[in-house]
Parts: sequence; C-alpha cells; structure tokens
Amino acid sequence: MTTAAKPRPGLWLGLFIGSVATIAGLRFSGAIEPPVGFILLALAMGLLFQFVRAISRKNADCGGISSAVRRYNLGMMIASLGYVLGLGVAITVHERLEPGWMAGFALAMLPVVPIFGMIFVMARYLREEQDEYLRHRAVNASLVGLAGVLGVGSFWGFLETFDLVPHVPGWWSVPIWAIGMGGAQAWMAISNRAAGEDA
Amino acid sequence: MKNRLRVLRAEREWSQQQLADALEVSRQSVNAIETGKYDPSLPLAFKIADVFGLAIEDIFVRE
Repeated sequence: MTTAAKPRPGLWLGLFIGSVATIAGLRFSGAIEPPVGFILLALAMGLLFQFVRAISRKNADCGGISSAVRRYNLGMMIASLGYVLGLGVAITVHERLEPGWMAGFALAMLPVVPIFGMIFVMARYLREEQDEYLRHRAVNASLVGLAGVLGVGSFWGFLETFDLVPHVPGWWSVPIWAIGMGGAQAWMAISNRAAGEDA
Repeated sequence: MKNRLRVLRAEREWSQQQLADALEVSRQSVNAIETGKYDPSLPLAFKIADVFGLAIEDIFVRE
C-alpha cells in the first residue's frame, strides 16, 4: 500500500521566492535580457502551482476546502500565468518593435485582461462560497489588500509629487493587493491554529 | 459573544471535524466560533442549536 507524500507548502513557497529573487538578481545585474527573464518567471510559476496544490491538500486534510476554493485556486493560477506571459510578451514586443497606438493598446491589454480575470475569479468565489466563515475571511483579506493598495499608493504618490522618489507604474497596485491579501489569509490561518484547532 | 460549543462538543465526544460535517461547514469555522473569533449568522446559529438539540440561548450567551 502506498501513502501520499505529506504536502509541504512552505518548501514550494520557499523555492518559488528563491527562484523569483534569483531571476530578479540576474535581470537587474544585466546577466539576462527581459525575454529570458520572463520565460524563467513563467517557468517559476510552476513552483507557485505546486505551492497552491500543497496548500489545497493541506487544507483538505484539515476539512477546510470547498469546491468554491478549488475553483478559485484554479482560476487564480490560470490568470496569474496569463498575467506573467502577457506582461512578458507585451514588454518584449514593445521594446523591440516600437508599435503604433493601436498595436500598443492591444499589447497593453495582454496583462490587463488576466487582471480583470483575477477580479472576476475573486467575485465569483465570494458568490459561490457557502461557508460563511471562509467567505468572511476572504472579504477581510481583500480589505487588507485594498488597504495596502490605498496606503502604499498614496504614500508613494505624495513622495513622488514632491520629487522624493522615482515614478512607479500604476500596475504595481495588483501585486501589492495580492501580497496584502495573501498575508492576511496566512495571518488568519496561523492565528486559527494557535487558537486550538483539533489535531 | 460567548458560547458553550466546546463544552457541548466534549460532552458528546465529537471532534471539531465531526461537528463541522454535521453543520456542513469547514473545521476552521467550528474552531473560529468555539474560540470566539467569529460570531455565526442567525441561520448557522439555528443549525448549531438543531445539531445539539438545544435552544440558541442555551449555547450562545451574552457577555
């Protein structure tokens, strides 16, 4: 009889963060060009897929996963992959071909459409989730993400207005939102465990 | 709002998972309600009362 390997989300998350940090280091040092960087980033998304799968399995073992969560995880992973690929293609083509207004608009839509997809997936999850506590957690987490976007955005925006920091593109709002939301979910999960879930 | 969920569950020797299954919610939900981190909606409170065969006010008490 074989037993399934124990899910290790921390391992996959560590590998993903390490990979992204390495790719960013190589890119900023000039060792690799943008297309290679984006291809490597798209490949690193595989580690993020494994992280989400491991988290899902761990939550399923704890009785904390619904079909809505499964659909949410799948939708978010597809949208995230689409975002990385869309961003990579858009920036590479824009730098090399200098497209006109219409082509530039079409290129800009490549990463934007997956972001709209993420917003749709989030809205669908809130509608589909039948477990009111999990829905409550998701709403709280998205509010924390929103607070992060508003706080960091206005903080940086005013520094920028007074020429204290360089300009940062507005699309950074999505990663900041996602980091805030993920951090809040992790905090709530840890505090739930600390409060004494049954083994 | 305080509640007697943990005590009632212990009296029946139910695990959090068993109660969660009976309520059709996640184990995290049961844990959050037991520890006072989350107050359930009225429909869920009625469901909890039904599972234990008690009135809501026998399970949830005002602080």
